Amino acid sequence: MNAVAVTVFAFLFLLVTVMGFAAARWRRAEALDNLDEWGLGGRGFGTFIAWFLIGGDIYTAYTFIAVPATLYAGSVVGFFAVPYTIVVYPIIFAFLPRLWSVSHRHGFVTPADFVQGRYGSKGLGLAVAVTGIVATMPYIALQLVGMQVVLQVMGLQSSSDNWFVKDLPLFIAFVILAAYTYSSGLRAPALIAFVKDTLIYIVIIVAVIYIPHHIGGWAHIFDTAKSSFSDFNTTNADAIAAGKAQGKGIIPPPAAHWAYASLALGSALALFMYPHSVTGVLSTRSRNVIRRNASLLPAYSFLLGLLALLGFVAIAAGVKVTNPQQAVPQLFENEFSPWFAGVAYAAIVIGALVPAAIMSIAAANLWTRNIYKAFIKPDATPAQEAQQSKLISLVVKFGALIFVLALSKDFAINLQLLGGVWILQTLPAIVGGLYTRWFHRWALLAGWAAAMIWGTWLAYDVASPTQAHFGGPLTNFPGTQTKVYIALIAFGLNLIVAVVGTLVLRALKVADGVDVTRLEDYSVDAGDTGVEAELTPETPLH
Amino acid sequence: MPARSSRALWIVVGILLLPPIVVPLLVGLYAKEDPTLWGFPFYYWFQFLLIPCAAAFTVTAYYLAKEAVRRDRAAKGLPDLDARGERR
Repeated sequence: MNAVAVTVFAFLFLLVTVMGFAAARWRRAEALDNLDEWGLGGRGFGTFIAWFLIGGDIYTAYTFIAVPATLYAGSVVGFFAVPYTIVVYPIIFAFLPRLWSVSHRHGFVTPADFVQGRYGSKGLGLAVAVTGIVATMPYIALQLVGMQVVLQVMGLQSSSDNWFVKDLPLFIAFVILAAYTYSSGLRAPALIAFVKDTLIYIVIIVAVIYIPHHIGGWAHIFDTAKSSFSDFNTTNADAIAAGKAQGKGIIPPPAAHWAYASLALGSALALFMYPHSVTGVLSTRSRNVIRRNASLLPAYSFLLGLLALLGFVAIAAGVKVTNPQQAVPQLFENEFSPWFAGVAYAAIVIGALVPAAIMSIAAANLWTRNIYKAFIKPDATPAQEAQQSKLISLVVKFGALIFVLALSKDFAINLQLLGGVWILQTLPAIVGGLYTRWFHRWALLAGWAAAMIWGTWLAYDVASPTQAHFGGPLTNFPGTQTKVYIALIAFGLNLIVAVVGTLVLRALKVADGVDVTRLEDYSVDAGDTGVEAELTPETPLH
Repeated sequence: MPARSSRALWIVVGILLLPPIVVPLLVGLYAKEDPTLWGFPFYYWFQFLLIPCAAAFTVTAYYLAKEAVRRDRAAKGLPDLDARGERR
């Protein structure tokens, strides 16, 4: 443990804590006791804030730890994060403005609200909501894993055997996060996101300029990584041939091309099905903000790509860790002076707080709107809704905490993998619904159910050299030897069932529910009839 | 300006959004080491290069979509959002 690093870290952590609580007063509303205010920050964020907030959603602490870790471990497929974050923006550009419009016209807070209103089916809304909650929970847990790794490298984890005492710093950090999320709602992560991204940008820029220069330049880094991987491949040639180990490399072999492309596409399609991404998008002031952001957000992709390469940098810098996830924090520890290492640790930990807060808010909103209000207490007042969401945001966060501390960390990672497979199965209902009412609600539900079951089963069946089940996101495409992302395979089945089911149900003339939306609802903008701007134009800080 | 059809503009917007989705997925196109640039294998620098290129397409699409929305709104007799002087 280094006193300077810990002090700098503690100072920055304290700073965001104060900001988190002060955020309740930022862009102050009459009252925070409704979901538009607590859960969507007043629906008034402009391009600038939205850029940080949505960026905070996509580029999480876990990304910062896990993506370089895969490269460090010699699995170049992990670099798919770059094409993934390129592909995602044109997709956002195309369909999210429609979701924004229809949600503002009808006061939808969650994607499941939209599905429920569009198809007149609480059941389908429930399916979307439950999928969203179970896919988000392990995602929150992974943010904790990211924090835990940093705290370990900092030496802030005591050697006690008791899981609670051992991770006390993590526990404290999380209690603070829970407290200010509870009191400030979405305003807290929105405000902290500025600090998070400023720190991360500084750290990454310094890391990719200073460290490579220090250890002999990029050509040397790539050469070292390459020769280290080919040494590994030579030494373990028998194990690789027997499928007991994975071959390593810096360029994906032709056999991995489909894996790479399907991971990028599947993840891009899935990203904006996650409730927390939708929360970020619905908190914007006008639909134009979304399109403008879709054209500005790629700046983050550059950052992410550079960050991924730190995995190779760690190899060239001689970082030796058994858990690849510690590679980047350890690199910072070795190469930076203590005070800057403290800044770097703070950047990653704060990078976990922002998405964890947004995710818990989004999951809580799903619970409140699509389970509590839809099934338990239909006459809940806006204040009761907000209260319910605040409480559930605590439950969700502590659930995730217990998950990581008391159960296995691998379990959280497996579930996160499944979360991606699951959440993509809500796409036909949501995106399909934004463009057409052709799909029948029960066909969508059947497609969802079939794909959830099949996708889970496919993932269960994947073995890796270290795990018998849930060994990775890829499996052979049915009838071929080509590895493809499981989420996309299941999505294929989902679409087939939804289309065939719709044809059959339409032929049988099964009632398909009342659609509360109208065609023009999908293109309205702020200020149009029924879409009141929540905040006055004088609101400071755009 | 009188209201004109936005159909052609929307088609162009759609076409502009295709390359940033399709090109990064054609892995065979760029999964090779040479030529290197500043020590980066082709595989890496090409994907970095894709980022600003994709952004150029989406930014162009953004301005065209903005104009298309303006025409759509004018055609429906809705107020022009930019003319209201609001910061958008």
